[in-house]
Amino acid sequence: MPPQNPLVDDRTVDFILFDVLDVGALLALPAFQEHTVEGVKIFLGATRRLSREVLYPAYKPMDEAPPRLVDGRVVVHPVMKELYPRLVELGLLNATRPAEVGGQQLPFTVMTLASVYPMAANLGAYGYLGLTAGAARLIESFGSAALKERFMAPMYEGAWTGTMALTEPQAGSSLSDVQCRATPAGDHYLIRGSKIFISGGDHDAVENIVHLALARIDGAPPGIKGVSLFAIPRLRPEGERLVPNDVHVAGVIHKIGWRGLPSLALNYGEQGDCHGYLVGEPHRGIHYMFQMMNEARLMVGMNGVATASVAYQESLEYARNRPQGRPLRSKDPRAPQVPIVAHEDVRRMLLRQKAIVEGGLLLLGVTARYADRAEHAEGAEARQRARWLQDLLTPIAKTFPAERGFEANALAVQVLGGYGYSSEYLPESWLRDQKLNSLHEGTTGIQGLDLLGRKVPAEGGAAMMAFLEEVGATVGSALEAGVPASWCARVEQAAGELRDVTLHLLGLGQQGDAEAMLRHSADYMEMMATVVVGWLWLWMAAAAEKGLRERPEDAALFEGKRCAAQYWIEGELGRVAHWAALCRSGEDSYARMQDAWF
Amino acid sequence: MKILVALKRVADPDNANKVKIPPSGDRIDTAGLEWKPNPFDEYALEAALRLTEDGKAPKARAGEVVVVTFGPKETEQTLRAALATGADRAIRVDVTDDKLDGALVARALKALVEREKPDVVLMGKQAVDGDSNQVGQSLAELLDWPMATFAATIQEEQGALLVGREVDGGVAVLRVRLPAVVTVDLRIVAPTSVYSLKTARTHKYNDGVRFAALPAIMASKKKPLAEVKLADLTADSGLKVQYHGFEPPPARKAGIKVKDVADLVARLKNEAKVL
Repeated sequence: MPPQNPLVDDRTVDFILFDVLDVGALLALPAFQEHTVEGVKIFLGATRRLSREVLYPAYKPMDEAPPRLVDGRVVVHPVMKELYPRLVELGLLNATRPAEVGGQQLPFTVMTLASVYPMAANLGAYGYLGLTAGAARLIESFGSAALKERFMAPMYEGAWTGTMALTEPQAGSSLSDVQCRATPAGDHYLIRGSKIFISGGDHDAVENIVHLALARIDGAPPGIKGVSLFAIPRLRPEGERLVPNDVHVAGVIHKIGWRGLPSLALNYGEQGDCHGYLVGEPHRGIHYMFQMMNEARLMVGMNGVATASVAYQESLEYARNRPQGRPLRSKDPRAPQVPIVAHEDVRRMLLRQKAIVEGGLLLLGVTARYADRAEHAEGAEARQRARWLQDLLTPIAKTFPAERGFEANALAVQVLGGYGYSSEYLPESWLRDQKLNSLHEGTTGIQGLDLLGRKVPAEGGAAMMAFLEEVGATVGSALEAGVPASWCARVEQAAGELRDVTLHLLGLGQQGDAEAMLRHSADYMEMMATVVVGWLWLWMAAAAEKGLRERPEDAALFEGKRCAAQYWIEGELGRVAHWAALCRSGEDSYARMQDAWF
Repeated sequence: MKILVALKRVADPDNANKVKIPPSGDRIDTAGLEWKPNPFDEYALEAALRLTEDGKAPKARAGEVVVVTFGPKETEQTLRAALATGADRAIRVDVTDDKLDGALVARALKALVEREKPDVVLMGKQAVDGDSNQVGQSLAELLDWPMATFAATIQEEQGALLVGREVDGGVAVLRVRLPAVVTVDLRIVAPTSVYSLKTARTHKYNDGVRFAALPAIMASKKKPLAEVKLADLTADSGLKVQYHGFEPPPARKAGIKVKDVADLVARLKNEAKVL
């Protein structure tokens, strides 16, 4: 029997946390002093085991039996009733939150790298937890004491789940077009309207569900400045009882992936009796939501890494065990067949997956560390610099794992050949799951516009300057660690190309030609993501050189990092010049193209 | 009820770095190994926790679970993880594996038992590294206590434990008076295997062992973890087992295809000698 899929390589996660990101130094910050490296390792150990022993075995059954609508209620796979309390019990729901709300103030960096395991094991099951954490967090940040007691507390305790109810049929990416209405009625509002694609919007795994929904108070100004945030429970507390709150399921979306987690069309107030409770101040809903968006986008990024990782591990094990063909030089047809991992082209597909998965892991890890430092580093200057870098890297950390992860997932199918194209094998299901990550929490197109139109020009390009300094520092320490000078030069050159083309595009923006500046924002995203991941692989190569000297017994781990670093730096960075040329030339084929010509 | 749980760490077989034997063949090379608790000992800890609680949510605990291991400083992480899953106290006997055998561990445990005075000593039926299956039995003999090995179920009674033991023909049920030594098998962590006097017989546990929750990990830092010298437990640190050499098991040979059933039977009879 082949060993069970490990989901994620433990030694790589440990290498990233302890050798590359130096979590020990992060724990020295006053905010994290209650934590120890030993405690972090025990937490990782528990999360790994829950993921492997409890969540993963439920993945395929949940994928095969998606949610059903029965008598107006959504029925999910019964195993979800067991899984959700186990996830909550481990402390994952509020691990990073302060003690006042029952959390443990764990560094976001640690939580981010721990969360890859349950995501890789069972993305849908973890989705209930991620959504609930986000909904509770909104009330924690902006809600009144009464709302915290009534809605946040039962969510953090794991008794109820939460949702983010933003999208409407006519208002998806364009949230300023939200039409759901809220009419003042004493201590609450009466809500009326429809939402769509609401994940976890109804299910029978827990007693109650709280929707954090966007709606317009009667008479509110049009556009973004007229949208408010409401807590809308499925059952509303009245005295000691919970009574139905006029929230109805209009339909279940039949999704191609994430089948463990229902996605629904919902109607509020069909009978005029749907109570909503205003969170924070009127007309500030979008502003509140966007404060949550950074973390939500990083979560989606890690979903992408996790989904690529579990498929990479599956295809790696397959390649080690599937005998097929003989080495190129073998002339003897009676010689035994070799496992396909012995073929160079199969190793190419595996190494590409590895470079994407592990580059993505560190991308999420380093962005999370900037987020921790932006909140808790000592000194306002250090916090400001970390905030710039966090903001700059967030659209990339959301997009790279979704887009390159999809490619990695397709390679995992490819490694399994015809078997990979069959639903008897799991890689096709992860390919389906992965596709959502380029769509939700801001599509890839929106991330590209956000990166080039907002994050790069912010504060006169301060974030980009800080990023280029980080690259320079890594190049210096990599040279010192003994990484080949040619790799260091290559990363430096690519960062220089990024800098030059950025200056050119910012110049176009200053001349007022926003369309020319943003025309190739998709290419700019590809270019910058490739440079960022090149920087991260150089960083890992430096840590691997050090590791080879200090822990020769782990040579296989470090040699693997070296090969993946070489693959990315020598193989991928060459594409930067191509994207840079497109951005610079302003090549205008699709700009000129007219609707009628398609 | 006070329970002493003996917990050994073993090399993690899932780790990429495997146990190696140097060319000299005189020892096992442990460089680069990752460690985990012996699974059967983890099951013993889970059984001990179930015996000292009521199974309700939130659960009320009664009694004390003390975990002990024999090993160098870094084995404290194994103990700390046990504290984080619910044990109350931990003891590390400071010694390295190569200075131990089953008889010496049993002698040292006897002294610890006399010091701690538990009602029950629980441990795995064996450790998955040496597979010796000796310590529980030796300890019961040294203490002159009742013993039940390979426990698949445990039910607490007044002053006794009703233990279901898996034997070849089925399950043998023994009543052991306390204090006693019990070694456990893997089915002890099934949902309905262990009941304390306070736990409703309708209660079902999660299948398997419990995992350390983050709040409990934080709280475990404040739980006592004592270090004891081996010499303080036994004056006789001599070994009854001497290792003369190590070699890896022979590599598995490739299979063959037989012509027909008659050929198969002949080979099973004459070559494999199993018929």
